[in-house]
Amino acid sequence: MGSLPAERTDVLRRNNVTVSGNPAGRPMVFAHGFGCSQEVWRMVAPQFAEDYRVILFDHVGAGGSDVSAYDTGKYDSIDGYASDVLEILAELDLQDVVYVGHSVSSMIGVVAASRDSSRFGALVLVGPSPRYINEGEYVGGFDRADITALLDNLDLNYLGWSSQMAPAIMGNPDRPELGDELTTSFCRIDPMIASQFARVTFLSDNRADLAAVVTPTLVLQCTDDLIAPTPVGEYVHEHIAGSTLVRLEATGHVPNLSSPDEVAREIRSFLA
Amino acid sequence: MTVADDAPAAVPDAAVVPGMQDSYEEFYLNAPCGLLTMAPNGTVTHINDTLLGMTGRERRDVVGASFTRLLTVGSQMFFETRFQPILRLQGEIREVAIALSCADGSSLPVLLNAVVVADGNGQPRVIRTAIFDSTVRQDYEREMLAARRSAEASEVRVRALQDASIAFGGATGEEELAEALVSSARSTFSASNSAVVLLGDDGELSVVAGVNPLGDALSLQELVPMASVLELSPVTSIGVDGVDASTAAIRAALAAARQHTVTVTPLVDRDVPIGVLLCFFGRERDLGDQFSSLQQALARQAAQTLTRMRLRAQLEQLALYDRLTGLATRKLLEERLAVALESGTPMALVFLDLDGFKGVNDHLGHTTGDAVLRVVADRLRSVVRAEDVVGRFGGDEFVVICAETTSVNAMVVAQRIAAEIRLPMDGIDPAFPITASVGVAVYTPASSDVSAAELFRLADGAMYASKRAGGNRVSVFGA
Repeated sequence: MGSLPAERTDVLRRNNVTVSGNPAGRPMVFAHGFGCSQEVWRMVAPQFAEDYRVILFDHVGAGGSDVSAYDTGKYDSIDGYASDVLEILAELDLQDVVYVGHSVSSMIGVVAASRDSSRFGALVLVGPSPRYINEGEYVGGFDRADITALLDNLDLNYLGWSSQMAPAIMGNPDRPELGDELTTSFCRIDPMIASQFARVTFLSDNRADLAAVVTPTLVLQCTDDLIAPTPVGEYVHEHIAGSTLVRLEATGHVPNLSSPDEVAREIRSFLA
Repeated sequence: MTVADDAPAAVPDAAVVPGMQDSYEEFYLNAPCGLLTMAPNGTVTHINDTLLGMTGRERRDVVGASFTRLLTVGSQMFFETRFQPILRLQGEIREVAIALSCADGSSLPVLLNAVVVADGNGQPRVIRTAIFDSTVRQDYEREMLAARRSAEASEVRVRALQDASIAFGGATGEEELAEALVSSARSTFSASNSAVVLLGDDGELSVVAGVNPLGDALSLQELVPMASVLELSPVTSIGVDGVDASTAAIRAALAAARQHTVTVTPLVDRDVPIGVLLCFFGRERDLGDQFSSLQQALARQAAQTLTRMRLRAQLEQLALYDRLTGLATRKLLEERLAVALESGTPMALVFLDLDGFKGVNDHLGHTTGDAVLRVVADRLRSVVRAEDVVGRFGGDEFVVICAETTSVNAMVVAQRIAAEIRLPMDGIDPAFPITASVGVAVYTPASSDVSAAELFRLADGAMYASKRAGGNRVSVFGA
């Protein structure tokens, strides 16, 4: 998929926005989750290029974004990331957008659409979780101690000597189709930013935002997703009025990489 | 025990030294590291004895189950969010630090390498991993991490206070100081918004710098619990999750503005509250003692700087404005005259000395004399333009600087001054009439090149001409 950079305004440069696909098509915006970059959509997004205008971007701190735009106050909540999404939609003047968000970006989409639904036509939430920590009746899947262990684990990998995981920039002889240019921005994340983004991702509570969604919504729930277990997907479905819940055969938390065809098929069938 | 089909079979190797054979199978099973193969979906297909020994698990419980079941919860999350995407995209990862969950409930820190083996079509076929016990190393690493975090926390504190001290010191006014406090609070605390609210002379609160996201929903009086500020309480924190009825309106406003928490830190000048620092947070945060003590330290530093600034401003005010009449002092007059001359436009200096003032002082007392001076000051202020500067030169001498004016207009102003002063004054015995001897010096940039001191001397000379002529009149120099 050739990416045609739009005019590089500040917003588009900040979020490394790329526009491709059918210029006359309905816009479909893909948002990556914690731990990766827009690369995570590389097997799904091209499947829509023929009839959709495909927009990909990186959150600030990830991939090819402008790290100098990182503001620890703004990006200390989902809301700051949602502001960027709204700015991208406005900058490209998109209407009737199909917003496809993976993991934390599904909640970023929920917050953006509940703040201003005017440019949204559909929300596709892949593995959403509005709250990871169990609380009273609510089952998020994790105790606070689990989250603390995860944050330690991340810091060990990002900040410790085994920081291979952080830049993760290396050639890949098995996949020559990945050119050098792509490989260098491969899920690249700034370690300090990743550390804060992990806290925003796993410590936020956005349950209250679900009820405010008026955009037609598809929830894609994987089988055996440890990060967003089935009861969480059901919770999201129950709290977004009129939403559709589809259980994927794909296992794990990253169906966009493990079962891209199934993900694309379900998105198409929802939009049909 | 059978080794599953993907594992290499024992192959005789002709090149080995006789008697030193080690079959591939033996080597696989007992390699000096854990070896595990899984399907692309994470289902374990093979595991060697070394890894079973490390985890205390049985082969039958592991093979056919998900690899994630061998991991602690924290490592499972890491595996799913970071490990998997990278492995999928990159085909390989090395030296990932994770923890295995052992049969006895303990956890074992390991380092893991993984490689994706693709089939002929480039599709992933299996994932091979090698796993090394890294207990000693990771204990050390964890200690390093803990040390690093605590060093970073104290570095944040020191740097915040240092940066703030530089920024505050460089501020030239209250607004700049408030801006510096806002920017330092935002970056130090990762606050989504911050605002400095100061108590004005009128007792009203106003936002001097920063953004108050609740501004549309609440008045500052509703937001800032002045009682707590007045009681000099330390940091007050109000979160959307609170239940206290007294903060219900604030909590509703926070929710509407998509803020989770606001903290209110008093700015105090030696036990007198002068305002507050507001910090807003977009999500639930751990606002522990260290956090609030740093907020207090920053607030204290800012308040002290603000106090120094105000004292300096007061001193300047004292030097520039006459305490009795509120008019400009000689110092301020000289400054303003220099500015007016520099502007290079025509201007006039009006100099006046009261006639009969000594009699009032001698016979009616100095208190009455002071009252006369105040009336004169009020009258002067009432007859000049807003842009003119009225000053008390000393004793009963007054000066008016009329910027950008012509000699004709200056004359009109001088006549008006003389007429205004000679009007009777309420409460002053008419037997002691007050009038003014007025002198005017006009400056035209084209025709003359005079200094401020010279212009004063010329106006003073013109005033003496009026005095010598019997007072209560206007004389002009250089018309």
